[in-house]
Amino acid sequence: MNLFNIISELEKVDPEIMDRLSHRRSALSALGSLGKKMALAAAPIAIGSAFNKVLGQNNLADTTAVLNYALLLERLEYSFYDQALKAATLTPTLTGAARTAIETIRGHEQAHVNLLKTALGAAAAPEPANGFDFGGAFATYPTFLTFAQAFEDTGVRAYKGQAGNIPRDFSPTVGGATVNVLTVALQIHSVEARHAAHIRYMRRGAAAGAQANIMPWIVGKESNGAPAAVYGAGNPVATFPAEDNIMQATLTLTTGLGATYSAEDVSAAFDEALDNTTVTNIAKSVVTF
Amino acid sequence: MSNLLKKEGEEADLSTPLLVPIKRRSFFMYAGATAGATALLLSGCDDDNEDDKTPAAGTVSLGMGDIGVLNYAYALEQLEAAFYAQVIATPYANMSADEKTALTAIAKHEAIHRDFFKAAIPEASRIPGLNPDFSSITFTSRDSVLGAAKTFEDLGVAAYNGAGRLIQDPKYLLLAGKIVSVEARHAAYIRDLITPGSFSGSDVVDANGLDQALPVSTVLAAAQKYIKETINGDNVGK
Repeated sequence: MNLFNIISELEKVDPEIMDRLSHRRSALSALGSLGKKMALAAAPIAIGSAFNKVLGQNNLADTTAVLNYALLLERLEYSFYDQALKAATLTPTLTGAARTAIETIRGHEQAHVNLLKTALGAAAAPEPANGFDFGGAFATYPTFLTFAQAFEDTGVRAYKGQAGNIPRDFSPTVGGATVNVLTVALQIHSVEARHAAHIRYMRRGAAAGAQANIMPWIVGKESNGAPAAVYGAGNPVATFPAEDNIMQATLTLTTGLGATYSAEDVSAAFDEALDNTTVTNIAKSVVTF
Repeated sequence: MSNLLKKEGEEADLSTPLLVPIKRRSFFMYAGATAGATALLLSGCDDDNEDDKTPAAGTVSLGMGDIGVLNYAYALEQLEAAFYAQVIATPYANMSADEKTALTAIAKHEAIHRDFFKAAIPEASRIPGLNPDFSSITFTSRDSVLGAAKTFEDLGVAAYNGAGRLIQDPKYLLLAGKIVSVEARHAAYIRDLITPGSFSGSDVVDANGLDQALPVSTVLAAAQKYIKETINGDNVGK
């Protein structure tokens, strides 16, 4: 298979493909060495998300599909932390408070998996037959945290992108109790955001390279070494803009609110959503499952 | 500026109008007028109320339906923005440079949320600027400030989580979703400042791995001590 033939075919469908690809390439080259490793791993998504017009959209058919999508992401996250806690490469570094925090997070992901499986009942999709292969994610403590940030921030965007697809009055009986599915999804969503904030906080620590510039929230679309697509736009871009978005509803928040705010503060004040196709592509770019 | 909802309605995207119909809007104008009238009435009665040591600031009704939810969010964001503005204006003793940077950023985020809701809710149905009551907070004390910040952030997360299902328009739900995860990031950060590793402690995240989702009445009962006006949220989302 010839990559250039593919791109040339794509150009017929999407004339701007080369612009997007080369823009992405220059963005990637600006990253550090760890960034480059992640970027290499992320190459498929760089190409995949470059032709948004062909791929990328929210296309889950019903609430069951939404919940199975959530189940897959939770299984991925649980497996990620479980493998990390068992990885010999991380034994010397993932210790003390850091280990405790990762155990806490793993516990939450496990609880989310169980909850979603219970809610789905017989409709729950099976686990991927060969599990999840995270490649070199556990090579070093900083690499592990870079991946963790990518998964948590993506998870937050993923749940946000589905909120509107869950009927707000859908309250089935689960385990004898009436459960409003939208509320539960939101309750998981904010826990993922807490995880993301803590992982980002951990990256500021000495063992993780003392990256004091990493805030608990997302500033602009800074990826901090994670795949750029995690913070990029989804499809359609109007609904799923990149994380550096400064417009909400029809307002430009930097200048349109009667006070002047920096683009950094405005972008950080709102987390953006992502469609399921873009999220799945991001996951598949760094995980084999 | 304050006509965002109307402006959107006039644009091409009419498939999902931001606000259902004029009927509703005119109802809120009426509701807003009632809120104002109640406030007037209460202050008029002030002389008769011998138990009141401070002048009654009146009652503010959040309104109903989606506008009620937006006003609810606006009220909470006003509270948070005022709180962090004070934290930055009078920093507690020994605030580290890192803390100052982060708290300043949080103050900006909350001010942006507040100003966004102010701009997004039509003036006729928007609640007024509220007067905060931070008399229970000692701004010179790190413990007091961070304790209050934790309360506000966790409460904000629980409020948005609980209000999600009350929102009729998916666009507003998405907007609320964009804000709540930032509040959760704030909450996690503040908690880690107080007790490292408590970002998702068992007091806020239950055995099912779920964050809190609280009804409007519970949230307002907890927030009321920080607001001089009496907030009435009985019809939010109805």
